[in-house]
Amino acid sequence: MGLPDSSQDLSTEMEVDAFRRIFPLRFFERHLSESLRPDARPLGKARDTIVNPGLVSTADGSALAKIGSTTMLAAIRMEVMTPSTDSPDEGCIALEFHMPPICSPTVRPGRPADAAPVISKRLSDTILSSGMIDLKELCLVSGKAAWMGYLDIYCLNADGALFDAALLSAVAAFSNLEIPVVALNDNGRIVAISGGKDEDNASIIEKKAVNKEKRKLTLKNIPFSLTCILHKKYILADPTTEEESIMDTLVTVVLDSSDQMVSLYKSGGTVLAYSSAVKSCVELARKRAKELKQILGEMDID
Amino acid sequence: MEYVNPEGLRLDGRRFNEMRQIVAEVGVVSKADGSAVFEMGNTKVIAAVYGPREIQNKSLQKKNDHALVLCEYSMAQFSTGDRRRQKFDRRSTELSLVIRQTMEACILTELLPHSQIDIFLQVLQADGGTRSACINAATLALADAGIPMRDLAVSCSAGYLNSTPLLDLNYVEDSAGGTDVTVGILPKLDKVTLLQMDAKLPMETFETVFALASEGCKAIAERIREVLQENTKQLEYRRAA
Repeated sequence: MGLPDSSQDLSTEMEVDAFRRIFPLRFFERHLSESLRPDARPLGKARDTIVNPGLVSTADGSALAKIGSTTMLAAIRMEVMTPSTDSPDEGCIALEFHMPPICSPTVRPGRPADAAPVISKRLSDTILSSGMIDLKELCLVSGKAAWMGYLDIYCLNADGALFDAALLSAVAAFSNLEIPVVALNDNGRIVAISGGKDEDNASIIEKKAVNKEKRKLTLKNIPFSLTCILHKKYILADPTTEEESIMDTLVTVVLDSSDQMVSLYKSGGTVLAYSSAVKSCVELARKRAKELKQILGEMDID
Repeated sequence: MEYVNPEGLRLDGRRFNEMRQIVAEVGVVSKADGSAVFEMGNTKVIAAVYGPREIQNKSLQKKNDHALVLCEYSMAQFSTGDRRRQKFDRRSTELSLVIRQTMEACILTELLPHSQIDIFLQVLQADGGTRSACINAATLALADAGIPMRDLAVSCSAGYLNSTPLLDLNYVEDSAGGTDVTVGILPKLDKVTLLQMDAKLPMETFETVFALASEGCKAIAERIREVLQENTKQLEYRRAA
């Protein structure tokens, strides 16, 4: 970097906030040299994470995940569809990630955010390839009826690490999901049982309910992710928007609950990741997966 | 179908002049200049305000010495009973326009020339009265952003079913086929900024329903004022020194 180090002269005279805006990189490097970040986190530590299930009553399963200020709301609605002929025993999951303009000053109305379709695709690939959901569990009547799960994730506040928060909210929504009870009516079609008038429906539920017992999905190999920033020789876990805008090399590692690597994502950036850097990222991801497993476990108990 | 039983209770146990429970909170979206969550019963709306900031699309600017107010209303895919909804259908566009004009009347746009104020509304759960919840949430978010306003814009809806005027209709009551009157007022100035009605009503009944909705608005205005004052107190404590 051939820029003159003019900040040295001004740094003693300027206010911290102004220095942070005008010389962001130097501001961060000052902190990194002390192994800290401006919000007082050590380099490898992620922000406080909260998961709250069951917030949206109109959905069949939902969860809100917050990592620091980044907030994601995921909700699942189940609809019955005809399965395709090459997989008559399997249902389907359709995932969509939305970044409405409320979440960030950079998202303009009428023009979807650049990051949204990318994260949408990555999430879809990660969830399907991790094998967390057995699509055969979504089958109702082989060849005729199966569940289509529409998972919609809305970013309500975008402050960095969007993929991590979105994945966490999706996983929590799936574990909160309760598949609606349905029955096969006389026309051979699936109808939902609302569960309101018990006297009329009780007999129907006993005789024809196709999935009275299987209401929750069994989730195996739950994926957990961690995004890190590589900058010179530092590795920062769980970046905020400010950090992401200054340092451009992001690495996302996704591990599952049996410590196997599900996916690794590094898309360009000025810093080249040698295998030692990748190994450190995987180590950090492993620690984070343990934390997240515990948080999800606590959520289920409630 | 009976919407008001002989004892005067509605489907959810409320009386004719009872509103649903209101939950209001400011400062929920840290990235926004001002934000608020407003819940009326099961209807949940988040409003975020970005501004005043530089105008992004100069072709939209009509009056040079006034701020440009933009509003976007959108409903989450899971907000209503059936999921399949187009992201920008006609209803969303109409509501965006209506809410924009309501808020524009109330913001002192002449104090912020050459700038843009964006109001974004996201409906997370819809159970009737989303229009009103959005206006109330937008008022809170604008106050949180420190944008100068003439007065708080508050809104409430009322209807007429089973020969009874009913305050704050939920989705079931709204789709019953009776009338739905939405009123938006500026309480201190005692002026009406928004008035929408559908279905037929005799004039006297309309006046009763309108008066009921205005009463509801005044109650919401009280609540909004409390929330804002509490928020200011919190800011004061945090400022300390």
